[in-house]
Amino acid sequence: LRAPGASDGAPFPELALRVAETLARLREARDVDVGASAKRPVWRRGKTTLYRYEPLPTSRRAGAGHRPVLICFALVNRPYVLDLQPDRSLVRRLLEAGLTVYLIDWGNPDDADRRVDLAEYIQQHLGGSVRHILAAHGTRGLNLLGVCQGGVLSLCYAALHPLEVANLITLTTPVDFQTPDNLLSKWVQGVDTGLIAASGNVPGEILNALFLALMPVRLTQQKYVRLLTDRPGQQAIEDFVRMEKWIFDSPPQAATALAQFVRWFYQENRLIRGGLEIDGCAVRLADIRQPVLNLFALEDHIVPPAAAGALRHHIGSSDYSECAIATGHIGMYVSRAAREEIPRRIVDWLRAHGGPG
Amino acid sequence: MSAGFEPDAAFTGAAERFFELLKTFGMTGPGKAPDWSAMAAPLAGQFEQWLRLSQSASPWFSAVPAGATWPGAGWPAAGWPGMPAGTASSAGPTSGGAAPGSTSPGAAFAMPPWPFALPLGPAAAQGKDAARTLELLGRLAQLQGELAVHWSEIARTAAQHFVARLGAGATPPTTLDQALKVYELWVSSAEEAYAATVHKTEFGRLQAEIANTSAALLVEQRRHVDSMARAFGLPTRAEVDELYAQLKELRRRTDEPAAAPRTAPGASRSSGEPAARARGAKARGAKRPRAVPRARKRVRARRPRS
Repeated sequence: LRAPGASDGAPFPELALRVAETLARLREARDVDVGASAKRPVWRRGKTTLYRYEPLPTSRRAGAGHRPVLICFALVNRPYVLDLQPDRSLVRRLLEAGLTVYLIDWGNPDDADRRVDLAEYIQQHLGGSVRHILAAHGTRGLNLLGVCQGGVLSLCYAALHPLEVANLITLTTPVDFQTPDNLLSKWVQGVDTGLIAASGNVPGEILNALFLALMPVRLTQQKYVRLLTDRPGQQAIEDFVRMEKWIFDSPPQAATALAQFVRWFYQENRLIRGGLEIDGCAVRLADIRQPVLNLFALEDHIVPPAAAGALRHHIGSSDYSECAIATGHIGMYVSRAAREEIPRRIVDWLRAHGGPG
Repeated sequence: MSAGFEPDAAFTGAAERFFELLKTFGMTGPGKAPDWSAMAAPLAGQFEQWLRLSQSASPWFSAVPAGATWPGAGWPAAGWPGMPAGTASSAGPTSGGAAPGSTSPGAAFAMPPWPFALPLGPAAAQGKDAARTLELLGRLAQLQGELAVHWSEIARTAAQHFVARLGAGATPPTTLDQALKVYELWVSSAEEAYAATVHKTEFGRLQAEIANTSAALLVEQRRHVDSMARAFGLPTRAEVDELYAQLKELRRRTDEPAAAPRTAPGASRSSGEPAARARGAKARGAKRPRAVPRARKRVRARRPRS
């Protein structure tokens, strides 16, 4: 075994051996599976699929009349990070608590979807999913859990359709897109969104490059070096590879929707400043009067805590709770906090905000 | 899963650069004293080259895999089949800057392959079309030159801070743990120097302008392709878009019953919705919806599909 770049006489020969061994094990683990819980498609619209997770045999029995939970993930990443593996699965923790869990997978927009806009995603895809679930359960309102960009879509939906969303949970969701520490926002302020829309769908690789460029040394160098030099166990290697698969598994973005998102939220900060309209209907955070739980990360370089915490100043709900977790953006999905604290807080909060559906 | 994840490239690339760094640190082995003060210049040079390779054009258009035809440059800037001789050389300081055998973070996320196999681009374009494309290429090269100035600044600052933090009297690491701590110090110095520059308004403006120029170039190239398509009797982008729109409208009509508002027992529309809809309709100047045919009403009463 020989580590790449480690010539004869390289410093610390044991390091070269350690790196070479870890590299070999990483190669062996490259086909590791992702996704843990059984689910089945129950509704489709365009490329979007609504899944319902199968209840676990060991699940607690939820109280009668409990409302289903719909998870609305971001368009820019795959939602399976919430169910990466059995011991790293927010979905599984919710199922174990006896909740009925649905998930929206936006799929792979292709050339036919370049004109799909945010209104279509929110009103027809998210809205269609909500209406399907409400009809299937014969309930008036569900629990909507919006994650990251999906949280923004969820805020819009909750403001437009208040009675269909009984409780709203936002996880790492930006609200104020122009906080001073938001590097992504600074970079896109001058971007011509008309050109984005005209130049077609944006490949996921481009967005990945953008996210990695926020902290390039840490995200493309240091994390690999740490793993290679750490003598990781097999489990740690497989965990790492699963995360890498997820990070680089980004779907393309429908041109029009992405252009609108950049312009309306990043450049014009319409959630805060007003002026946001979806399908001609005004979206006002003040119209969100249902109970809201806002969870965000204190070390988030993509959605800074101030960007997420701004929700407290703008919603109309008098029943607002928030929880800042000491981790980073991705840590909110897969860290120890994600495995324990976040699911516990969500389940406890939903129990406290139960009631007949 | 997308084709972006190439673990071997990511891991081996990181390992190579790690060992290269250790060598630069002067860590020729335990007990051999490094010359910290002499380290700044080569360290800055290495970091600058890495930044150029990995971040050269802009995150929007820089994810070129190592060994691709357009090393280290934003893909529209580096030339394509049919480009007039000499054009690629104007792609600025990043063009051709890839060290032999080196990999960049771009290796971990492959750019889609260059879409044009035909001799398109300026060579195929006529008159002012070619001039516009060349103008954009020139502008992109100029912007990349401006970007290179930032990379130099970041690299120099990072190396200076790193050496200053180590202190002139620092003893050389004699254990692997100590060596890794020095590496961590380098990472912190590099990221801090990077953050100090990339948060500046000027840098953000530059990134946006590169993205805009790259996108404009892409739009321009598609226009050329459309011209070719017309010449060959193939459908143009606009015609394909029109077909998609018609298909979507047909699907919408056929899906309408399934996507109709829910009719579950006990379900009701939001009290806020009519007002919101009215506001929206007013804003759009929308016409009143046409009456739904009787036959469709019956279908709408069905449960949505599962």
